[in-house]
Amino acid sequence: MATLSLQHLDKIYDNKVQAVFDFNLDVKDGELIVLVGPSGCGKSTTLRMVAGLEDISTGHLLLDGKDITQTPAKDRDMAMVFQNYALYGHMTIYENMAFSLTLRKENPNVIHKKVLAAAEILGLTEQLNKKPAQLSGGQRQRVAMGRSIVRNPKVFLFDEPLSNLDAKLRGATRREILLLHKRLNATMLYVTHDQTEALTLADRIVCMSMGHVQQVGTPLELYDTPANLFVASFIGLPPMNFFDVTVGNGVLTSDVLNVPLTAEEQHALRAYAGKQIVLGVRPEDIVEQGQVLVNVFSNENLGMNTLVHGHIGSNDPSHKITCKLRGWCDYKAGDEVPVTFVRKHFFDKETTNAIRGEA
Amino acid sequence: MSMNEEQFIKRDRMRFTKNTLSSSLALLAILFNVFYFVSIYKSDVGSYYYNILIGASVLYNLVFMLVVFLSSEGVKGYNITFAYVLLAVGVLQILRIFLLPLRAHAAVVTINQQETVVMQTAQFIRVVVYLSASAVCCLVAGVAGIQKSRVLAAHMATLEQKVA
Repeated sequence: MATLSLQHLDKIYDNKVQAVFDFNLDVKDGELIVLVGPSGCGKSTTLRMVAGLEDISTGHLLLDGKDITQTPAKDRDMAMVFQNYALYGHMTIYENMAFSLTLRKENPNVIHKKVLAAAEILGLTEQLNKKPAQLSGGQRQRVAMGRSIVRNPKVFLFDEPLSNLDAKLRGATRREILLLHKRLNATMLYVTHDQTEALTLADRIVCMSMGHVQQVGTPLELYDTPANLFVASFIGLPPMNFFDVTVGNGVLTSDVLNVPLTAEEQHALRAYAGKQIVLGVRPEDIVEQGQVLVNVFSNENLGMNTLVHGHIGSNDPSHKITCKLRGWCDYKAGDEVPVTFVRKHFFDKETTNAIRGEA
Repeated sequence: MSMNEEQFIKRDRMRFTKNTLSSSLALLAILFNVFYFVSIYKSDVGSYYYNILIGASVLYNLVFMLVVFLSSEGVKGYNITFAYVLLAVGVLQILRIFLLPLRAHAAVVTINQQETVVMQTAQFIRVVVYLSASAVCCLVAGVAGIQKSRVLAAHMATLEQKVA
């Protein structure tokens, strides 16, 4: 197993487009790091730089303290699992899994032991004589993982491995990856745009936008204390509600809102008295009963919860709100629901950074 | 790894790998047979070859190639029946030496009032070598196929016993 250190990595393409800006990260031994962000944010580019498939424009990449910035991909002792499996269709599963070791001219008996062990871990023993076309998407992705496992690499790299699977299979394969990580205790870097994958798999998440790292932290840290508006809006489903408000005397006000502040919140916002800030409220932090009136325009029952979509005051898009209320609710369009914000997040309107000290 | 373990793994590998030795040898046998029939018809001895034997020989070449190709696929998957077929075909290839090549080598025809040997010694040796090589390939492929199929069958039986 291994530690990985990404120091001030930049990626500038020949056409001068910069895809990654000053990426810094220290990956501990056995840690599962998830790079998450919207399409085009530079997460796959970063992974490919780590794998050696893209040149690093500036910065250093250290594996177990050894600089591997200029080391060719084949000598980096890393294994990558791709979204499209990249299996050889004419080979059996056994041959696919053994292929990298066969190329290295390893002892066939050793290869056999490694392939059987990997197949056992991944539940592929019964499939070894089949061809990839005879397997389901989830099984094929497991074969791709198996091909990585047999190499016993220092670092596993996953580039959106579940994106080709349907929702049910994605959930099952996600759990398998998690079990695999626990079993192998391997250092893993995992790229996804799916926040559910990020939250459920990661030891730590790196949230990226426009080539910049927005926040690095545990899933709970990113959910509970987002560093800025981007992270707050990206992490959480349904996404956080945002309102432009002015900090008053013990109260947040806008043309349609009047939200009282606790003593702790007042303390956190003392430097913003009289200024405009952004108030963020997660849909699940909204409960029925209170002074804020939500005009309902749609109601989605999810069984245990109900998503109530509406607006506060006017029909202005900036006044839209989504509430995740407990239980089964049967609100109709036009109903008014009184709610309370039990937990609030505050963001500086200019810098978009979180105002720390929120309750 | 101990000797026993190595032997076990070697046998166990056969569950997932193909018998490429037998399969490749069978394909090689086809290749030598092609060399044979290309060589044997390359002669200008009037109407000597225009008889039923040569017709049967042409047909046999086609059947041989089909059967050996199918057998090469069969032995690849450790099918013992195809290994026996290869053995039989190998024996037939040897017998063929005593049919057409030997007779042609011994035959003399008169062309333009001159006695001419139908098959010169050099050509005879060449076609005998091709046929022999083809036969050896078939025989070795067959023997290897039988041996490996038996080993695999015994190994599978051991595994089934273990499971039971």
